[in-house]
Amino acid sequence: MSPEIHHDSRADELLAIRCVLGERDAFDELIARWHEPVWRYLRCLANSDDATSDLSQDTWLRVMRAIATLRDPASFRPWLFGIARRAAMDRMRRQYQWTVDDSAVLEELPAADVEEAALESDLALLESGVASLPLPEREALALFYLRELRIDEIAGLLGVPAGTVKSRLFRARCLLRAKLQNEGVIP
Amino acid sequence: MNPQRQSLEHIRHLAGAELSLKARLAHVALLLASLAMAAVIASLWLTEPLLPMRTQIAFGVMALIGLGWSAFAIWVLRARRPLYARDSVIAGRMAVTFTSVFVGGAIAMVVTGNAAAIGMLALGVVMLAAAVRILSDARRRFATLNARRAELERA
Repeated sequence: MSPEIHHDSRADELLAIRCVLGERDAFDELIARWHEPVWRYLRCLANSDDATSDLSQDTWLRVMRAIATLRDPASFRPWLFGIARRAAMDRMRRQYQWTVDDSAVLEELPAADVEEAALESDLALLESGVASLPLPEREALALFYLRELRIDEIAGLLGVPAGTVKSRLFRARCLLRAKLQNEGVIP
Repeated sequence: MNPQRQSLEHIRHLAGAELSLKARLAHVALLLASLAMAAVIASLWLTEPLLPMRTQIAFGVMALIGLGWSAFAIWVLRARRPLYARDSVIAGRMAVTFTSVFVGGAIAMVVTGNAAAIGMLALGVVMLAAAVRILSDARRRFATLNARRAELERA
């Protein structure tokens, strides 16, 4: 584990402890720090900004109501994304159907990749490539490239072995590469 | 304003209402008061066998109303307004104070020769023991979290 990640984990644990204690300021900091990554993750699962905003609100309500009973503040990050995921799955169950995203966000991809796809038209193709991935691969890709969760944390959150997460990531990259090659975006 | 920014503002606004300490402690007070009411009425009801039937029915209904309010307060505190570690300590102190007053009142009634208050006293002692246990657990959790917090802040 790199020193930076270790430092972030400690900062997250400290923030989580302050929330469990019931400090009002800590909740403001928590929301400021985690709203964007959670929103981006949910945007990858939802099919519109409006749906993402609803899911985000639902997630944060659940967080505020459940954090008092958080037993292990050290595992705050997978706990948070687990709540976001459950909120999204509950919504999907309510809708009784799943529509493929038609506008998945690109922010999950590493900055270097985005820089490589410099032209706007290429970005649009990349975007449609991510959106065309099956849900398990798209979700693993989003969680991993948000750079917020490690493989073992994603595995715990999704309830699958670490090897499955790795294979989903591998498959996602292959599918995305094949799609982009077919579109002529990359050689 | 973009949707993400709009969502952030909305959630900040939501947090203001959701995290109100006053609302939490109000439900703790409701729980304690309704439990005390149900305990007093149930004690009177069970220890006064010579009451007319309609009075017994009225006591039963009032005890059920008290328990109904207690159940509502418990539901709110579990599902809607959970107590954070600091709130739990305050709630524990409130519970010990309430139940001590209750036990004190029951003792005074027994001493003045009201035999019916013995049931009330027994219930009060059970509630006081539960309140002391709740306060002790809350203090322990609060101390554990604060110790870990201090450790992280030093690192």
